[in-house]
Amino acid sequence: MRRRPLTAALLASVLVAAIVAPAAAQAPPDWSEAEIRLVGRHGPWPPPPARDPSNRISGTPAGIALGEHLFNDVRLSGDELMSCATCHQAGRDWSDGRALGKARADLDRRTPSLWNVGYSHWFGWNGAGDSLWSQSIRPILDPREMGGSRERASRLLREDKQLACGYERAFGAKPDGDDERLLVDAAKALAAFQATLVSPRTRFDDFRDALVAGDREAASRYGLAEQRGLQLFIGAGNCNACHLGPRFTNGEFGDIGIAFFVRPGEVDSGRLGGLAALAASPFNLLGRYNDDASGSSALRTQHVRRLHSNFGEFRVPGLRQVGRSVAYMHNGGLATLEDVVRHYSEVSPDRLHSDGVPLVRSLGLSAGQSTDLVAFLRSLDADPPPHPAPPPLCP
Amino acid sequence: MRHGLVFLSLVASLVATTRLAHADQELPIFDAHMHYSHDAWTVVPPKEVVEILKKAGVKRAMVSSSNNEGTKMLQDVAPGVIVPELRPYRSRGELSTWAKDPTVLPFLEDLLAKRKYVAIGEFHIYGADADLPNMRGVVQLAKKYGLFLHSHSDSDAVARHFQQDPNARVLWAHSGFERPEKVREMLRKYPTLYCDLAFLTSHASNGKVAPGWREAFLEFPDRFVVGTDTFTPERWHYVIEHARWSRQWLSDLPPDVARKIAYENGDRLFGGAQ
Repeated sequence: MRRRPLTAALLASVLVAAIVAPAAAQAPPDWSEAEIRLVGRHGPWPPPPARDPSNRISGTPAGIALGEHLFNDVRLSGDELMSCATCHQAGRDWSDGRALGKARADLDRRTPSLWNVGYSHWFGWNGAGDSLWSQSIRPILDPREMGGSRERASRLLREDKQLACGYERAFGAKPDGDDERLLVDAAKALAAFQATLVSPRTRFDDFRDALVAGDREAASRYGLAEQRGLQLFIGAGNCNACHLGPRFTNGEFGDIGIAFFVRPGEVDSGRLGGLAALAASPFNLLGRYNDDASGSSALRTQHVRRLHSNFGEFRVPGLRQVGRSVAYMHNGGLATLEDVVRHYSEVSPDRLHSDGVPLVRSLGLSAGQSTDLVAFLRSLDADPPPHPAPPPLCP
Repeated sequence: MRHGLVFLSLVASLVATTRLAHADQELPIFDAHMHYSHDAWTVVPPKEVVEILKKAGVKRAMVSSSNNEGTKMLQDVAPGVIVPELRPYRSRGELSTWAKDPTVLPFLEDLLAKRKYVAIGEFHIYGADADLPNMRGVVQLAKKYGLFLHSHSDSDAVARHFQQDPNARVLWAHSGFERPEKVREMLRKYPTLYCDLAFLTSHASNGKVAPGWREAFLEFPDRFVVGTDTFTPERWHYVIEHARWSRQWLSDLPPDVARKIAYENGDRLFGGAQ
């Protein structure tokens, strides 16, 4: 297979580096055509804005504006003490900076970041939501989280003049008396806003674009460790089997050998419980609140099947901004990115069911390889611009 | 909604299962694929295991453990429930190394001399590795002691078991994750091959037995058993739901076939507690 060396552009830096480190460790990676194709699949970034056909105000400015106001409104919660933004803080990458979530009660899972959430097709660690709007209803009603109610949400939309005005602009009608419908509409506005939370371009994106374009000079600005880590990621590590595409996730679920007891005698059943909750939800895409007349948005929900392997599976997270998290895995059980790489390096096959060729296996990484992989993952991070406060809904 | 038929049928079947729960509980389960390995002993203590089995309506469970002390611990608290099989792993980490480990056969011989077992397994072996000396030794030990081989393997390895001992009795774990047509072909070829359905979902969906598998069950009603496969400690907390799920699809079969697969085959093949 033909490989494209980047050595010409990197010659000077390699010569300098060779003075202080062994030559073998500093050799710039070559990139084969196959590797370049694989790297190319992790972009371009950003993707086109997310649109949800099941949500008729998805992508609309009025819907997004209403959603952002509701996102920050504590009156959606039962005790009027917390909003969505309490746990999904703009300054903390739309999470809470904690290993495990804490709302009205201590929670058993880590609060996921909302970056790029609009591009998902399953929501929550267990995929109990099949749309961003249905997922947005769950924490509002959950007594352990916001402890709100449909009555409270609908009253807020009807009685607050700004929100009522914003609702009318978003939905083209005044909020009516159907409490459940108004709760769903509030959630659709919340979803419209959350779908705008797209993480910024990163050093990786610059490298990816340069590599695909054959721009060696631009590609050479990407660190050698990052390049080696990327090659490991798409090569021997097989990380891209699940962490694929521009968001570095297949959006599905996996058991990666993380224990899922939450306390003695109790487990978090993960995807299996998520499927049960999905089936029981009046807000799933097979229900009457799906705005997609074509029905195509419901196909995934229609055809999903439960598997024994779903027990203890959790959603494969995207990796953009991954290095900015304060904890990892569904249960926040790993503290650092280095711990995550160590987990994959040393994961016990005992915890993984042997069924054909396992996707997850102990990688047995050297210290240098682990460092490289972490370096690559950190290249998926970037400082986002400050998130300004939303303008008034109806000035 | 027009696209919701399959999904709603799942909901409906769950509701139906709940309504029929009492009647379904009448169908006992012989669970032929359970493990109680070292990492489970403290987080799911033996008494809790027995309570789970009771709640699940599992009348007997064939259990192997890494190491085998786990099986004995369960036998001590539930001698009428636990059917012991001997696992060639002292820790679960030996799953991928046991076949070439020279200490395995002496380890098995020592335990066989001390305790009674009904099977050796579940072990993992694939293709030509089934002709390695350790695997051949295990086949001979099973022959010597009149035990089943509980083999997590492909069809090639199963064929090699029978080449080494044409009279071997093999319980094919997970039915090799094979298509039902292949399973039927193997069952026709090897009269003493039996199939466990642990960790499989391809044979049933929404409480209905899948085409292909239905024909297999009706052609060989005496050759299938069910199993949960508690390969991690957490999976003990799946036993009750798995039993419920099994009863659901079993109810889609003729009652005599359902009884055989649910528990009669297990009782007949592996007997009661030792």
